[in-house]
Amino acid sequence: MSGPSTPKVTRREALLRLSSTAVAAAAVGAGFATFHDRRTVSASASAIPDWRVPQPGTGTAAAARGSDPAGNVRRAVAAMGGMERFVRKGETVLVKPNVGWDRLPEQAANTDPQVVAEIVRLCIAAGARRVVVTDISCNDPRRCFARSGIQAAATAAGAEVIESGRLHLATAALPGLSAGLQVVEELLRADRVINVPVVKHHSLSRVTLGMKNWFGVLGKGRNRLHQDINRAVAELGATFRPTLTVVDATRVLAANGPVGGSLADVLPVGAVLAATDPVLADAWGASLLGHKPEGLGFIAEAERRGLGRADLALVKELGTA
Amino acid sequence: MRWTIRIRVLYQAFFLVVFLWLLARLAAGDARDLPFSAFHHGDPLSAVGVTFGSGTLPGALVWGSVLIALTLLFGRAFCGWVCPLGTLQQLSSRLFSPRTRRESLHVNRYRRWYAIKYYALAALLVGALAGTLQTGLLDPLSLTARGLASGLWPLLPGGRPAPGGWVAAVLLLGILVASRWIPRMFCRGFCPLGALLGVFARFAVCRIHRAGDACTSCKLCTFACQGADEPLGSHRVGECLVCLNCLPACPEQAITYQALPALPAPPKEPDLSRRYLLGTVLGSIAVAPLLRATGGGREAARPRLLRPPGSLGEAEFLQRCVKCSLCQQACPTSAIHSAIGQAGVEGFWTPVVVPRRGWCEFACTRCGEVCPTGAITRLTPARKTGYDGKPPVSIGTAFVDRGRCLPWAMGTPCIVCEEMCPTDPKAIWFETVDEAGRDGASRKLQRPRVDVAKCVGCGICENKCPVGEEAAIRVYSVGETRDPLNRLLAGGLPK
Repeated sequence: MSGPSTPKVTRREALLRLSSTAVAAAAVGAGFATFHDRRTVSASASAIPDWRVPQPGTGTAAAARGSDPAGNVRRAVAAMGGMERFVRKGETVLVKPNVGWDRLPEQAANTDPQVVAEIVRLCIAAGARRVVVTDISCNDPRRCFARSGIQAAATAAGAEVIESGRLHLATAALPGLSAGLQVVEELLRADRVINVPVVKHHSLSRVTLGMKNWFGVLGKGRNRLHQDINRAVAELGATFRPTLTVVDATRVLAANGPVGGSLADVLPVGAVLAATDPVLADAWGASLLGHKPEGLGFIAEAERRGLGRADLALVKELGTA
Repeated sequence: MRWTIRIRVLYQAFFLVVFLWLLARLAAGDARDLPFSAFHHGDPLSAVGVTFGSGTLPGALVWGSVLIALTLLFGRAFCGWVCPLGTLQQLSSRLFSPRTRRESLHVNRYRRWYAIKYYALAALLVGALAGTLQTGLLDPLSLTARGLASGLWPLLPGGRPAPGGWVAAVLLLGILVASRWIPRMFCRGFCPLGALLGVFARFAVCRIHRAGDACTSCKLCTFACQGADEPLGSHRVGECLVCLNCLPACPEQAITYQALPALPAPPKEPDLSRRYLLGTVLGSIAVAPLLRATGGGREAARPRLLRPPGSLGEAEFLQRCVKCSLCQQACPTSAIHSAIGQAGVEGFWTPVVVPRRGWCEFACTRCGEVCPTGAITRLTPARKTGYDGKPPVSIGTAFVDRGRCLPWAMGTPCIVCEEMCPTDPKAIWFETVDEAGRDGASRKLQRPRVDVAKCVGCGICENKCPVGEEAAIRVYSVGETRDPLNRLLAGGLPK
């Protein structure tokens, strides 16, 4: 044998092999070029929408009293011009009651289920395509939604009830509030938002009402806001502008709030207020617990910032049914 | 033909020396701007892994494409000519195992289990896609740097202890010792970088060719084959490390290394079972959530998990960190150590600041400068310290343990933490009190208090605290800049 034989590669095969190498090189090059220093998708912070509708000429708040909570809701909302003024056909409405605690309706730690259910019914009657009832509870959310009666009552009324275990949170722009807070994503999708607080004593802010109720749409880190509660509550009021605030004073928790427990702390007031002015709504609720609005730091701060007027004379009292 | 081998050995020696020298200079605190992360920048396993994990290929990792291009031209020449771990194994194999020719023939045969590295590669890349980057566990560059830093540097004069470093040292040593039985066992069986290059080597332009009619099947070529790629049979180009030992070994000169040789028929591909590969992929998809759910998730509170300054948020950090240990070696105060359990199973070997070992020097930005993947972002001293007017970069917050602190609990004057505090104004200030001692006599005491809005968590207070073992002032991760949710204070305050 005279040395190794020369390898025989046809021109065709050489071209094919070189092109496969070139394709591999091009694929790697394209991959590297595509991903090189690519801006990774970071959740962009959405702005919180403003859910208010143009002020109806019927005043900024109406209060109804009586033994039927649903009837009180109907009368108060009707006095504000009816739900049709606030909810249009095909809209998605988010109803935000207080479902913070594993308590029964009689204990008055959560919004009354009949009040929530009646609001849902009014929204659907006004043509709402979808009504979502949600809150981020402090206790176990399944127990809160079940034992407050809100899960059953709101579902029966036609709402989609989402307890906080099944909620998605989104990063939102919350200038003025603590950095990094997230909010309930459904809130950003809703066309209209109805805030339905219950009137309760609170150990830090003295009373907890509508503006304080926005704690319930915030995710982890919301408890830092207690460090400066009056400024934080006013800031929440400036950040979240609801279509309507419906204050539930069917039962009022007068002491050991916001959790309560003892029926001895519950006052049977039997009233509901509907308001387009969230500051007035809070002032009216506070007055039920004997507070003068000007004596409450968060109301004074909210008024100073022009979020509303805490003048109880502006409340249209509809009397007892 | 022996000159090709001499040139290869020169290359191997050169790259090994450069690799060791850069590591040593880094650990020695060389102030020059040397290319400390050059090897890691050119590591395509990191490039692909980080891209899969994070969706972006950060900065200089793009150099990994050069290594892939070289592989497309020359095959896995990186493994045979450059890789420091390959060179060390080759050395170990030669030094500790003089073999008879019969033995050499035996140990250099291809074995089916050499396909494990391809499964490992698949598992690591699928894991990265699922959100947990673990390539650093097996990456030869990370392994070598970590093994040396944890197992060798502490033994050198002036060496600083590396707690838990024995794990990495034993692994590196084990890999080297394994070469006593099977040369380059790690390269052949386990190296995911080798596997990645092996995938591209299948397209290599230049490769080994055996002229069949000249070959007498004497098997001499196999005696010194580093890759166990069977130059005698149907050459496995994906296994070949291009050591070129077979060229001069062939008495008939039947073996050549050339561009576009005729291919053996059929070309040998890795012995991968489709079923095993599918199992590997499915298993790896489950690993990331499993590690999070059962290995201590990212959501779990990790009060003492202090990451180096400039680190990304934990999820993004774990998508980028390749566990190369460069930050650990760059840290001038030995504050950075490799996590064993502090960061969960997922964060094994990721860097963590241990203030009792060292503190984060106020204006030092070394760790971010050497991080090859941007898991620790680059900071300027002005940015880190807040001298640029924005809030400084904080890695945590110091808390006084009033039960252990000398002035708080023992009526004994001490001001060390306040004295050391580097911020302006100092985050640690004194509350001056008159305190009656046991004898009833009153004396003035300065008790340290922490202004949480000013503290950057550097840990020099904890490091210098004269209270032995557990310090009386300790840094916790709350307040770290990288996590907007891990905060103490509300409002627009910097913390």
